[in-house]
Amino acid sequence: MDGAAAPTVTRVVLVRPWTDGRAGGGCCGGEVRDGVCRDGTHPVEELLADPVGQAWRAVRRELPDADVQVVDVANTAYLLPTTFRAVRRRSGERAGVLASLRAAARATTAGSVLVDGQWVGDVAELGPDGVLAAVRRARAAVNT
Amino acid sequence: MPAIVIAAVCGVLFFAGYKWYSAYLQKSVYGVDPAFVTPAHQYADGVDFVPTNKHVVFGHHFTSVAGAAPIVGPAIAVFWGWGPALVWIVVGTIFAAGVHDMGSLAVSVRHGAKNIGTIAHDVISTRARTLFLLIIFFLLTLVNAVFAVVIGNLFVANPGAVIPIVVEIPLAIFIGQYIYRTKSAALVPSLIGVVGLYLLIWVGQKVPIELTGLADAIGVEPRNVWVVLLFAYTFVAARLPVWLLLQPRDYINSHQLFIALAVIGLGMLVGWNTVVAPAVNDVPDGSPSMFPFLFITIACGAISGFHSLVSSGTTAKQIDKEQDVRHVGYLGAVGEGSLAVGAVLAATAGVAATRADWDELYPDFATASGGAVGNFVNGVGEFATNLGIPLDLAVIFAAVVVISFAATTMDTGVRLQRYIVQEIAEIAGWTRLARNLTLASIIAVVVPLAMAMLPGGGEAGYTFGVLWQLFGTTNQLTAGLALAVVAVWVTQRRRNPISVLIPLVFLLAMTAWALVVNLKNFVEADQWVLAPLDLIIFVLAIWLVVEAALALRKSWGSGAPGVGGTPSDDSGTAREPDYSDRT
Repeated sequence: MDGAAAPTVTRVVLVRPWTDGRAGGGCCGGEVRDGVCRDGTHPVEELLADPVGQAWRAVRRELPDADVQVVDVANTAYLLPTTFRAVRRRSGERAGVLASLRAAARATTAGSVLVDGQWVGDVAELGPDGVLAAVRRARAAVNT
Repeated sequence: MPAIVIAAVCGVLFFAGYKWYSAYLQKSVYGVDPAFVTPAHQYADGVDFVPTNKHVVFGHHFTSVAGAAPIVGPAIAVFWGWGPALVWIVVGTIFAAGVHDMGSLAVSVRHGAKNIGTIAHDVISTRARTLFLLIIFFLLTLVNAVFAVVIGNLFVANPGAVIPIVVEIPLAIFIGQYIYRTKSAALVPSLIGVVGLYLLIWVGQKVPIELTGLADAIGVEPRNVWVVLLFAYTFVAARLPVWLLLQPRDYINSHQLFIALAVIGLGMLVGWNTVVAPAVNDVPDGSPSMFPFLFITIACGAISGFHSLVSSGTTAKQIDKEQDVRHVGYLGAVGEGSLAVGAVLAATAGVAATRADWDELYPDFATASGGAVGNFVNGVGEFATNLGIPLDLAVIFAAVVVISFAATTMDTGVRLQRYIVQEIAEIAGWTRLARNLTLASIIAVVVPLAMAMLPGGGEAGYTFGVLWQLFGTTNQLTAGLALAVVAVWVTQRRRNPISVLIPLVFLLAMTAWALVVNLKNFVEADQWVLAPLDLIIFVLAIWLVVEAALALRKSWGSGAPGVGGTPSDDSGTAREPDYSDRT
């Protein structure tokens, strides 16, 4: 141990818009082609063009110790409490309840990039490199 | 006995089931390996396959499986008394639904996150996939039929609910578009949508919509006019992109789920309502017997085959660590069981103040089944009055919640049925049907519409309860198929499958027994639509028994290991995503 504080594992949350919804759940969790339910995944070209997927792969590749989660915008039961707690924790409980609630509500914006609860930008606007840079900046700010 | 005490006891039992039985399943039956590389890692792409925190996956999974079905079945089944209904819900959730939901998720994770139909093809036989598709076809037909009847009955009984439900459609589209186009946070607009929806309850109360005049003019029951209008709506809605209507409305409904649960729990606590129904009801002669009919009347809430479709569809692709199947699968079953407990308590403690009042609501099976959803709605309304909400508004509120869930289930059901029709057509070589979206949609709508129009007020010779039992039967058969797949897989891995085989055998025995009794009744009553339908489902059940027995016999003989991935090494290199070097 060198006495320095161990770097905290950053949690990056990418909020997937529901307009990205593809096939339904259940037996049709896979590809729907020509209206027919098929087992499998999306074509590689489609996967590679997906903005959330691009950002997810970039952060995973460059920051392997970061905890990267893709969360559906409708998953309020996860987004609200975890963002609220993350904001409070990051501020050392100094963030007020109202400010933390506002941050939690903002986390339900489609395309949000959240770093330990802090909103740092929009996936589509930033692009994969921009998301990576924003995550790095947010981490650096926390570690300093 | 106070309803809140029963709810607390059920909660403790569910907790014990999760704490100990799911741990046993994880360690000794499914052999969960923390080092196993899940498909979410093996095929990680950030789109379909994404390793995801177990709490995130649980949120997705639970909101996908929770719906109106665990409300309807228990509200009918209290006809036999609240004791048997609760025992089946609690025992079924702990020893059948938990095993089924967790098992189908585990087996899917070990098979590249394929769906249960494809795994049935791989693990049991090539015929099993056709069997799966046929069972799902009948399941979706009956789902759509029963929920159309449920909504029709609720609209007739609660004309004040029509305006809120109808306006919810453009409201959801508007909110979805607003959030999408303005890139604003989804929470506040959707909460405003919920508030707007509840304000419309007041409008609906002032301007109730009844179709009695139209129904009288064309000589049909008002319920059937609603049923036709509902299927006309779903025909159009199923053609819309999911993001335009289905997903924003699901989002609004997810808030309603939590609001309704809070109203039920707090209402019971504040009002300290006591259960007035008998623990075991002395049912009139000629009623369906508790064995086997209780066990198919309560399907969702005790065990639901539909969960295996969700588990093996989208959920399995997101499982980060194999041990997360316990949290996501087993707790998903517990969540559904909790909804069913709430339904039992609303229909036994909320809906009536005295035993005599309750007896009037449940005098015979036909009345009990026809009025079950209404009894739940009135029960929740009564709980809400404990919180200071006027009864007439509270009842419309409860009706709006149930109709919202049922309508979403119908939307999804018709959409899925369209896919299934096309897939069956493709297997059968009917290319024109397989490629014709409109034709497939028409079949997906017309078949359940015909089923929904059949239940009458007595003259048609059978009741909504019978239709519901047929739905329960197909749901249990779907669960049976998933359990058979899980049992074969567990046996192949040289583990003891007894905890899977017991619910499998029990379910198939109850299902077959009920089908035989009903077949006899239908033939004697000259019900020549229901009798062939019952016979077809019975043949599917026998087919399933034969396929499962053959596959189990083969797997006992061979003991071949199941298909799976490779464990990661300590450095975690095996967990690198396939697409990590591509942007």
